[in-house]
Amino acid sequence: MGIKKFLNTIMFGEIMSGLKLTFRHMFKKAVTLQYPHEKLTLPAGYRGFIVQRRYENEQERCVGCDLCEAICPAKAISVVGDIHPEFPDRRYAKEYTLDFTRCIFCGFCVVACPVNALAMTKEYAHSSFTREGLIYSKEQLLTLGDKCEEDSIEYLKFKNMWDAENSGKEEGRYHFPPIPSVKSGG
Amino acid sequence: MVKVFVNGVEVEVDSTSTILKAAEKAGISIPTFCYHPRMDPAGSCRICAVELEDSKRVVMSCVTPVSEGMRILTESAKVADARKTNLELLLLHHPLDCPVCDCGGECPLQNMSFSYGASDSRFESHRNDEVEDIKSDVLVFNSNRCILCGKCVRICDEVQDVHAIGFINRGFDTVIGPPLGKKLDCEFCGDCLEVCPTGAITDKFVRYQYRPWQLEKTKTTCTYCSSGCQMNVETEKEAIIRVTSSEGEGPNEGSICAIGRFGFSHVQSTERLNKPYARSFSRLVPTEWDFLIPELSEKLRAIVSTGPDRIATLVSPRIPMEDAYLIQGFTRRVLRSNYIDSGARYGFMNAAFPIAKSTGTLRPMVDHQDLLKAKVILVIGADPTAESNITGLFLKRAIRKEKARMYYVGSESVSITARAKDHIRVLPGGEGLFSWVLSEEISCQESGRHPEFLSRKEELFKSFNVDPQAYTRLVQDLREAQTAVIITGRVFHRLQFAYDAMESLIRMSHALGWIERDGCGILPLPETGNDLGVLMMGATYEWLPGLLDSQDSDNKKRWESTWGEPLSYGKGGGLREILEGINSGAIKGLISFGENPLSHFSPQSGVREILSKLDLLVSVDLFQTSLSDQAHYLLPAASSYERSGHVVSVEGFVQSLNPAMTYWGESLSDGEIVSRLSECMGHPVSSRLTSDVSKEIFTLMPDLSPSTRNGEHFMGPTGNLILPEVVSQPPHKADRNSVASRLSEKTKSVLSPIFPESIPGEGEFVFALNKSLFHSGKMTLLDTSLMKMESSALVRINRQTAKKLKIKKNEMVLIENSYGSCTLPVELTSGVTENELQVPYHFDSPDLLGLFPRELKYSGPCSTVTMLRTRVSLKKIE
Ligand code: SF4
Ligand code: SF4
Ligand code: SF4
Ligand code: SF4
Ligand code: SF4
Ligand code: FES
Repeated sequence: MGIKKFLNTIMFGEIMSGLKLTFRHMFKKAVTLQYPHEKLTLPAGYRGFIVQRRYENEQERCVGCDLCEAICPAKAISVVGDIHPEFPDRRYAKEYTLDFTRCIFCGFCVVACPVNALAMTKEYAHSSFTREGLIYSKEQLLTLGDKCEEDSIEYLKFKNMWDAENSGKEEGRYHFPPIPSVKSGG
Repeated sequence: MVKVFVNGVEVEVDSTSTILKAAEKAGISIPTFCYHPRMDPAGSCRICAVELEDSKRVVMSCVTPVSEGMRILTESAKVADARKTNLELLLLHHPLDCPVCDCGGECPLQNMSFSYGASDSRFESHRNDEVEDIKSDVLVFNSNRCILCGKCVRICDEVQDVHAIGFINRGFDTVIGPPLGKKLDCEFCGDCLEVCPTGAITDKFVRYQYRPWQLEKTKTTCTYCSSGCQMNVETEKEAIIRVTSSEGEGPNEGSICAIGRFGFSHVQSTERLNKPYARSFSRLVPTEWDFLIPELSEKLRAIVSTGPDRIATLVSPRIPMEDAYLIQGFTRRVLRSNYIDSGARYGFMNAAFPIAKSTGTLRPMVDHQDLLKAKVILVIGADPTAESNITGLFLKRAIRKEKARMYYVGSESVSITARAKDHIRVLPGGEGLFSWVLSEEISCQESGRHPEFLSRKEELFKSFNVDPQAYTRLVQDLREAQTAVIITGRVFHRLQFAYDAMESLIRMSHALGWIERDGCGILPLPETGNDLGVLMMGATYEWLPGLLDSQDSDNKKRWESTWGEPLSYGKGGGLREILEGINSGAIKGLISFGENPLSHFSPQSGVREILSKLDLLVSVDLFQTSLSDQAHYLLPAASSYERSGHVVSVEGFVQSLNPAMTYWGESLSDGEIVSRLSECMGHPVSSRLTSDVSKEIFTLMPDLSPSTRNGEHFMGPTGNLILPEVVSQPPHKADRNSVASRLSEKTKSVLSPIFPESIPGEGEFVFALNKSLFHSGKMTLLDTSLMKMESSALVRINRQTAKKLKIKKNEMVLIENSYGSCTLPVELTSGVTENELQVPYHFDSPDLLGLFPRELKYSGPCSTVTMLRTRVSLKKIE
């Protein structure tokens, strides 16, 4: 046993070197937040709860195309498409449910959506005592979307999905004029 | 034969074949949009470009013929470039709304764009933004998505021969649709929908309700008519969403009719019986199978113990062979009865019995391929398009492409009469006499003819308005033709003297030497999907399975040893004898599997009263029917979409039914119901599995093993190549040698003349029940889709007559005779003779049936029910 090693052992050298980190942190600002009194500022692109979006004229964007359902790796989405009750040439989602107990927040569905009807938000504090409480209907998703509109726009911008829609360029893009808000006769 | 090289692979092909076909033979697929194997090439989409290695030229493979030593490159850079540019041009105005397009996910245009990365176009243009044509209840035309390949127009012209849609406008404004922007009015076969390579034509019934990738496909056989179409039933979560077909597959080669494609909604309607019912205190109350089976078996046993032939069964000719086999076994072994009959008794038996008697088989002598080879085709008393749609399509093809000479004999015009070389109009009732005269003329030497021949012939010309010249041409053509086919159908089989008329035709075919000559014969069209199979399985009192005489003791012994039980049934009988037996009290019980005798007789005929004498009436059906009001038990049956088994097509193919969904509610297949009853009555069955029953049938009767039109007619659809499945199968047609040896023993040369039905007098009309193109039997009246195509009974009346009586379209008329009366709206047509009225038989209201004679009338040696024509007077309702 070398002398250096012997000294190291009796002086608790290894422990000291470990404590060095501890002491250093004593002089830094703590990262712990006093949740729920304090909250973190989330970065752009945060993958929180998914919402459904509307056009400016309040009509829902979703065209019930089932693409989000098709891509979802967790089979969390189910869409039932049908003819729009007021516009017989339009497709819409008669039923749309998103099961957040299954969702793995991968964000694929947002990318798949051809009309930017979906976005992720910075919402995360949604809990429920029942499983059913976390299965959201279309109405719930739209309400949440109305509440978090800014989040959703930020998310889409972060994912480069905003410019494509708002660039005015038509070629090579899916083409869905929004459903008019003023109904016939009204 | 020439030798060509496709991507270096050497193939030898016919010198007339195109590059596309050569490539297919080499196993290399070339993308196509406008090419279709059953139609003339158009060369309009320019996606099938290939490069010729020597000349470095790009040519369209679907229209370019091969030449010796040609070297073809299908995937060179030049080809890819050409295809990509083409796609860019095709997508120039395309709306690109794939996510909401019902075709998205199975769209050849989408797939091609994806594989060539051409969704971005270098050209600037506007997008099409026309409003969709949603006027039709069946199809939606979206001209924005159309690439003008013209397949839809061509299939409607060339295959369906309906000519309902076309190109409208010119240049950039060209759209596809019915002429003059009208509402689509056609046969609604949906073939245009099937072939369209984009979402320009979509199905309105399930519009926006599905995505192709969610659907599960089941290949099965249609049982509505006897064409035996192979179809794909596509389901999502146990619900049928749509029915499609695969190009080249089955006897239908990828076409299916309106009923097969759109007529499935009734099997998922809330009206379907989903529980067994038993009568208690004059009401039908739901019960459980577990209570019902022992209770019912006890009642049956009590009746059976009083002696043989006490219980009768009626079988629908739509059920698979397996169920028919089990039912007849149950009737003969367990119920000890030979009172068994099927829906074939309403007419088809008049063809089946004489044919089986003379040839020993029910398999047809000719099939659809023979129609294509025939020089002369005689259609008598049949509407092939409505009765067996695919026979109709082949007939149209034979006339259009193969230039066959078709003679149509009958009073009315149907969709094919316009294509006939001669439409020999016979006044209603003269068809039987016509067959006899024709047969006498052709079969016998002048001296050997019946003494009444000349006067009868004269009568045909004079009283029945037959054109003597056309008649002579027909006789001449029949005598000279190397290949000829006679098609008989529903009207012919339901004539009063249908049996004798059929015998006349058989004798004539023999005299013409057709038996020995390939490609000649008679093709009788059964009325429903499995008449042939049900008869072959012995669900009729005349025959044990295998068409063996049921009264012959040797035959009986043979089946006794097979079933391991003595057979002690009596003489038995068909529908007539059953009704008589019930009336006299000899028959105490009746089990009806999907049949309803009430809808085949006048309501005043007393059949209801006769049936009320029964101690036990069991009705097994999909729905409540008029028979249910009297039934003591009402049992839910599984539909053809839910069961397995085999059915025999008009061409003799034995094809399988495969379940696309599980049994509806608590319903069971007819076979399962009788197996359970049989077990409970102490006659265990060897297995309840349909597959085991099939095996038993195919072991006992190996010539009935499954046979299908296999890949040999399959020419390759767009893209994927399916190689023919080579399986050894028994021939589907009758064996000419054995028929010939049998016939020579039994030819009768003198047949007594057929008396025509009387000719309608002044102001009198012949009122006929005909088969509609959009309905099959009565149950499709509950089908919401088919009801959109034809929703109510309209009386078809001749335009001239209507003019004379000042009747306009859709006006109500009063039809009456001494038996009853009914009021119906009219439809004007030039398709019926001046003193004939036609109504689809499916809409059998009591009023309508009430126009028929009250007495129970039967015809011919087969005692078939005659409910085809009656005499009425017509009045306009002011
Ligand atoms: S985020 Fe991922 S897992 Fe969640 S619904 Fe969307 S696709 Fe499905
Ligand atoms: S992908 Fe978008 S438009 Fe399509 S169903 Fe999902 S949310 Fe609706
Ligand atoms: S449905 Fe059939 S008949 Fe009608 S337009 Fe299409 S192809 Fe022609
Ligand atoms: S509707 Fe379809 S099949 Fe007809 S021309 Fe257009 S793309 Fe072709
Ligand atoms: S009803 Fe006849 S023609 Fe129509 S799909 Fe069925 S088998 Fe084919
Ligand atoms: S040009 Fe050949 S398939 Fe269209």
